[in-house]
Amino acid sequence: MNCKEWEDRIALYAGSDLPAAAGALVEQHLEECLGCQLFASGLREAQAFLAECHEEVPDEAHFAAVRARVVAKLERQRVPWWQRGWGYGFAAVAALVVLLLAGKVPTADVPSPQVAMAHPPAPPLVAPVRAKVPEAGRAAAKGFAGEPVLIRIVSNDPDVVIYWIAETKGE
Amino acid sequence: MNGLTLLASVTPFDEPRDRSGVLDRAKAGDLGAFEELMRRYERMVLVTALRLLGSLPDAQDVSQEVFLKLYRNLGKLESSGAFPGWLYRVTVNTCHDWRRRCPASLSMEDAGEIASGEADPQQQTAAGERKRALEMSLRLLSAREREALVLRDLEGLSTEEVARVLGSTEATVRSQISKARVKVKGFVERYFRRRV
Repeated sequence: MNCKEWEDRIALYAGSDLPAAAGALVEQHLEECLGCQLFASGLREAQAFLAECHEEVPDEAHFAAVRARVVAKLERQRVPWWQRGWGYGFAAVAALVVLLLAGKVPTADVPSPQVAMAHPPAPPLVAPVRAKVPEAGRAAAKGFAGEPVLIRIVSNDPDVVIYWIAETKGE
Repeated sequence: MNGLTLLASVTPFDEPRDRSGVLDRAKAGDLGAFEELMRRYERMVLVTALRLLGSLPDAQDVSQEVFLKLYRNLGKLESSGAFPGWLYRVTVNTCHDWRRRCPASLSMEDAGEIASGEADPQQQTAAGERKRALEMSLRLLSAREREALVLRDLEGLSTEEVARVLGSTEATVRSQISKARVKVKGFVERYFRRRV
């Protein structure tokens, strides 16, 4: 058996994981082999390093945080549904009361608000309306290229009236 | 008493005396008793999860999940003697599931956040660096090798107990442990040679 084949056994021997008989064989080999002695001491150092690095434990606060989270979750689960949802229940009851009260409000006596609406007489669908310019002004404006024309378009819907201001290129 | 036996002595495998009473009260629905049970095993669960996952927030989430599973399964736990083994098994399996569910969160950086008492900043940096080096070495291991090494060398369970927790045979566990030890040794030697 060469030294490579001893490695696994030495690794187990370093952690006292070999039965007594197998351990005795490893000890015998270690007495004779310098390379394996170095290998074994390296293993022990690595194990000590591993243990040393993991000696410290997290702060108590980290444990307490887990405990608190678990207890809170369990307490939430233990509360009966009708207590757990009291907030929603209260909101539902409040909404019901509001609806009932709203249903009792007398609505017949209250006159509906009067909205002043005046339907304009039905003009022709498209009626060009010239902006009224006084005679004197018109005379003065003659020298300009054109005067604005206001076109008022009234549809069948009395609420829709379209104004269109256009310029003319003179007479 | 070496470091390993010291670590082994703090594992709760050897305190079945008054565990049974607390367990029975917790089974009966006493939330205070369940909290007491958590206090007794929180170190075991959180530290094992931290060693397996390398991230404190992940380890805390896993611990929460483990204790909720414990609460849900209190009625199924028959004897208090098997309780720590069951808890180890659930912790290891929950870590396994966690790694599968969120592989990206396996940062290994938070392990350095463990408080190191009143050490001065220089010492803290050195300790943090060593810790990170170790975490990197553990990352080289397969999930099973890491679990076997953590349970055997850090949690101090016997090979037989590790085999029971992992649902494996003692021969397989021995093989995983020896491979893991050789890998960690190789990494530690390379790391320190480079540092020197």
